[in-house]
Amino acid sequence: MNESASAVGYGGKVKRSISAFFGAIGSFFADFGRAAAKGDAFVKLSLIWWGAGYLRRKQFVKALIMTLLEVGVILFSIFFASQYVPKFNTLGTVQAEQIFNMQTMQMEWNDYDHSFMILLFSLFSFVVWFVALVVWMKNTVNVYRLQLAAERGKHINSFAEDVKTYLDKKFHITLLSLPVLGIVIFTVIPILLLVFVAFTNYDQNHMPPNSLFTWVGLDNFVSLLGGGGLTVTFGYAFVRVLGWTLVWAFFSTLTTYFGGILLSLLLNSKLTRGSRFWRLLFVITIAVPQFVSLLLVSNMFSNNGIINTLCSNVGLTDFLRNAGLISTSYIPFLSAPGWAHVMIIFINIWIGVPYQMLIATGVLGNLPVDQLESARIDGANKTQTFRYITMPYLLQVTAPSLVTDFVKNINNFNVIYLLTDRTFVTTNQAMANSQAREVDLLVTWLFRLTQDYYNYKMAAVIGIMVFIVCAVFTLIAFNFIIRGDKEGVYQ
Amino acid sequence: MKKLFALLLAAMMIVSLAACNNSASEQSQAPDPGQSDGAQNTAAPGGSSDPITLTLWGAEEDQDLLAQLVEEFKAEYSDYTFDIQIGVQSESTAKDTILTDVEAGADVYAFASDQLTDLVAAGALLALDDTMDQVLQSYTGKTLDEIMSANSAGSVEVSTYEDTLYAFPFSADGYFMFYDPTYISAEQAQSWDTLLDAAEAAGKRVGMTLASGWYNAGFFYGAGFTTTLNADGTTVIDWNGTSADGITGVQVTQGMLGIASHPAFLAIADGDVSNQINSGSLAAVISGCWDSSTAEANFGDDYVACKLPTFTCGDQQVQTGSVASYKLMGVNPYAENTGWAMLLAEFLTNEQSQVTRFEQRALAPTNANASSDPSVAANKGVAGLAEQSAYAVVQTVGQRFWDPTASFGEQIAQGTIASDDASVQAALDSLVEGVNSAIE
Repeated sequence: MNESASAVGYGGKVKRSISAFFGAIGSFFADFGRAAAKGDAFVKLSLIWWGAGYLRRKQFVKALIMTLLEVGVILFSIFFASQYVPKFNTLGTVQAEQIFNMQTMQMEWNDYDHSFMILLFSLFSFVVWFVALVVWMKNTVNVYRLQLAAERGKHINSFAEDVKTYLDKKFHITLLSLPVLGIVIFTVIPILLLVFVAFTNYDQNHMPPNSLFTWVGLDNFVSLLGGGGLTVTFGYAFVRVLGWTLVWAFFSTLTTYFGGILLSLLLNSKLTRGSRFWRLLFVITIAVPQFVSLLLVSNMFSNNGIINTLCSNVGLTDFLRNAGLISTSYIPFLSAPGWAHVMIIFINIWIGVPYQMLIATGVLGNLPVDQLESARIDGANKTQTFRYITMPYLLQVTAPSLVTDFVKNINNFNVIYLLTDRTFVTTNQAMANSQAREVDLLVTWLFRLTQDYYNYKMAAVIGIMVFIVCAVFTLIAFNFIIRGDKEGVYQ
Repeated sequence: MKKLFALLLAAMMIVSLAACNNSASEQSQAPDPGQSDGAQNTAAPGGSSDPITLTLWGAEEDQDLLAQLVEEFKAEYSDYTFDIQIGVQSESTAKDTILTDVEAGADVYAFASDQLTDLVAAGALLALDDTMDQVLQSYTGKTLDEIMSANSAGSVEVSTYEDTLYAFPFSADGYFMFYDPTYISAEQAQSWDTLLDAAEAAGKRVGMTLASGWYNAGFFYGAGFTTTLNADGTTVIDWNGTSADGITGVQVTQGMLGIASHPAFLAIADGDVSNQINSGSLAAVISGCWDSSTAEANFGDDYVACKLPTFTCGDQQVQTGSVASYKLMGVNPYAENTGWAMLLAEFLTNEQSQVTRFEQRALAPTNANASSDPSVAANKGVAGLAEQSAYAVVQTVGQRFWDPTASFGEQIAQGTIASDDASVQAALDSLVEGVNSAIE
C-alpha cells in the first residue's frame, strides 16, 4: 500500500521534472519570440549587433562586452571553424603527400586533411556555435527586459551594480561557472567525440595523418551485434564479455558490500578485543596502492608462482589432478576461465571489503539508539534486531553507494587488468580471434582494442554500449532501491 | 528553473570567451593547423647558425650508449650544429607510443622488427628510396645498396616492405637454447625427447614460452610451414595443411603436445622467462641474448648457448625453427629535419656503432664486419644465436596473427587439445581461420 503510493509519488515527481524541463525550454523560446516581436528598434537591432540594446540603456560596458563577444564568434567562425566544418561531411579528401627537399634536408608536405582534427575541431565549433546561439537569444530577451524596465521608469543597473550582484545575489553563478566550463570541455566534448567516432571507420587501416577515415553509418554497430559484414566472432565475443561483466559487477558488489557490513559488525561487537587494531590492519590494504598489491597477488597466483609451488609441495595439485579437476601440472588460479573468474572475485573481496567496512562502520555509529533500545525492551534478540532495524537502516543509507559501486565495478579496470593481463591467455580460439578473453570486462577489452590494435571505431562502439549498460542499471536501481520518501521512515 | 538557466548561460558565455581566446592563439601560432609543422619552410638549411633539432628514442638500457654515439655523430658532422634530445622508449613498445600520435613521435626511434609492417601501414616510417640514397651518398659516401649488403640478409629482409627499405637494422634478437651442462650433455641437448628425459632424471625442468606466436611458430617453421602478409594487412598461414617438407600441421601439433605434456616441461608465461631461470628449477630454457647474464648466473660460467633441439614429427626428427628478429632504427617521416634524422639513424647503425653497441651492451650485431670481430664471435649468446640462425625464419605477419596463436600455444600448454588427429585438425582449422580473417 505504502510502497505503491510512494512509487506513484516518485513517478509523478519524474514526470513533473521532465515537464518542467521542457516547459523551461518552451518559455525560453516564447520569451525570445516576444522580445524579438515586441521590442523597440534597438532590441531588434540587437539581433544583428548584440550590444545595441545595452547601448540604448547606457550600459556601455555590457554593450562593449557583447560586441566583443560577437566579433569573437565571427572571427572564430571565419578563421578557425571554416577550415574544418566544411569538410565535416567527408572528414577530409586530401591525402598526405610528401616531397623531399634536398636543399633544406626537410620533407615538404602538401596541405593534407587530418580526419581526426576535422572531426574534433568541427565538434568544438558546433559547441561554440550552440553556446553563441543561446547567448544571442538570451541577450535579446535581456535587452527587451531592459526596455520594459526603462518604460516603467525602473532603475537600470550600472555595470558596477551588475558585477556586485554576481558576488551577492547571484553568487552561485560565479561559483559554478568554472566547474560547468570544466565539464563542457573535459566531459561533454570528449563524450560527443566518442559518439561520432563510433560512426566512422577510424582503425589501424585508417590512421591519420597518413590516411583518412570517413563516415560508415551504423556498420560498426551491426558488426558488434553479430550482423555479419566483418567477422562473426566479434558478436560472439561481445555477448560473452558482456555476460561476464554483469556477473562480475553483481558478485563483486554484493560480496564486498555484505563482507564489509559483517566485518564492521564484528569489529563493533563488544566481544571483540582491540577492535581499533584490527580495523587498522584492514585499512592498511587501502593504504598500499592497488596496483602494487594486485600485481603482487597476480604473481603469487601465477602458474609458476609461490602459491602453486606451495600447493604442489603439500600435494594439493596432485590431489586435484587425480580428482580430475585440473589437467595441468599447476593449479590455473588465474589462467583458466572458471578458476580465474572465482579467484578474481575472491581477490576483489580482499581489496574491496575494507572500503565497505569503513562506510558501514560510519553508518553503524549513527544507528538510531532509541529504536535499538525499544527493540531490546520488547525482547527482540540480536538476529531480529539486525534483521529488522540495523540492516534496513544500513540499506537505506548506503543504497546510493551500492548503485554507484555496481556501476564502478562494471568499469573496474584495475582489478581485472592487473590480475590477468600477464597471466591469462584464452584457450577459446573464437574469443582470441576477436582479441577478447573470457576474463575481460567490456572496459578492458576496449583498452586492448585501442592500445594494442588501434581499433578506435569498435572501441567507441563498445564505449557507447558500456554507457548504455551503466545508464540502464543506474536508472533501474535508483527507481527500485531508492524510492522517493523512504527518509521519512527513520525520522 | 530560471536560476538554472541563468547559470548555464553564464557558463556558456565563459565558454565562448575561452573559445575566442583559443582560436586567437591557435591563429598566431600556426597559420594552418592542418599542416604538421607551419614553421618548416622558414627553417634554416644545413650549415647556417640555427641548430638542427632532432629527437631520438631508445631503450632505457641504451641511454648511455646513445648519448655517446650522438656525440660521435656530432663530431662526424662538425660543420653543423645539432640539438639532439634523447628519450626513453622501449623497443618492444615503440609502435604503441609512435602510433598514438605519429606527428608528435620522435624523429629517430629504435623498434623491434615485428612492428615494421604496422608502422609502415600507419605511415610512421620514412621510405629509404632513391632520394634518400642520394642524400646518403652525398653525406656519407655510402650507397643504400652498400649498407644493405654490409648487414646480414635476414636483417635486411625484415627491414624491407614491398621492395623498399624502411629501417636500418642494428642488432639481431632471436631466441635459442641455454642449458646447464651439469645436468645435460651435448648429445642430450640434440632432441627434445632426450633433453626432457635428462632434465627429469636430474629433477629439473626445461622451460619455454608457448603462449606466444613468436615462440610457438618456431615448430611450424621448422617443419617447413610459412606465414605471409598480404598488402591489405591480412596474414595467411597454412598450418592446418601439409608443408613443403611433406609434414602435416597435425603432426607438428602432436609433437608440440608431446613436449608440453612431458612432466619435465615447464610452459612459461610470456615475459616471465627471467624469473623462471632465477627460480632455479630449470636445467634448460629457450630464450635470447637478453637473458645471457641471467643464464650465466644460474647455469654457471660453463653454461651453453646453442641451437634448439629437434622434435618428433610423426616418425621423423625435425629441427625446431625459430623467428629471425632484429632491432631496427627507423625515421619518422614527420620529422622536422627528415634528412638529418635519416643520417643520424644511419650513423647509429653503422659498423663502428654496432661494435660499440656490442662492447657496451653485448647485443649481437647485424653488420657482417662487426660480427666477424673476434670478441663478438667469442660471446656465447651471440654464438648460440648464430647457430640457431640457420633455422630462423623471417616472420612477416599482421596484427591478427598474435592473439589466435597465443591462444593456440596456451591450449597446447594446458593440454586442452586432445592429441587425436581430428581434434588437432579442428584446433588448427580454427587457428588458421582466426589468423587469416579480415581486419575489421
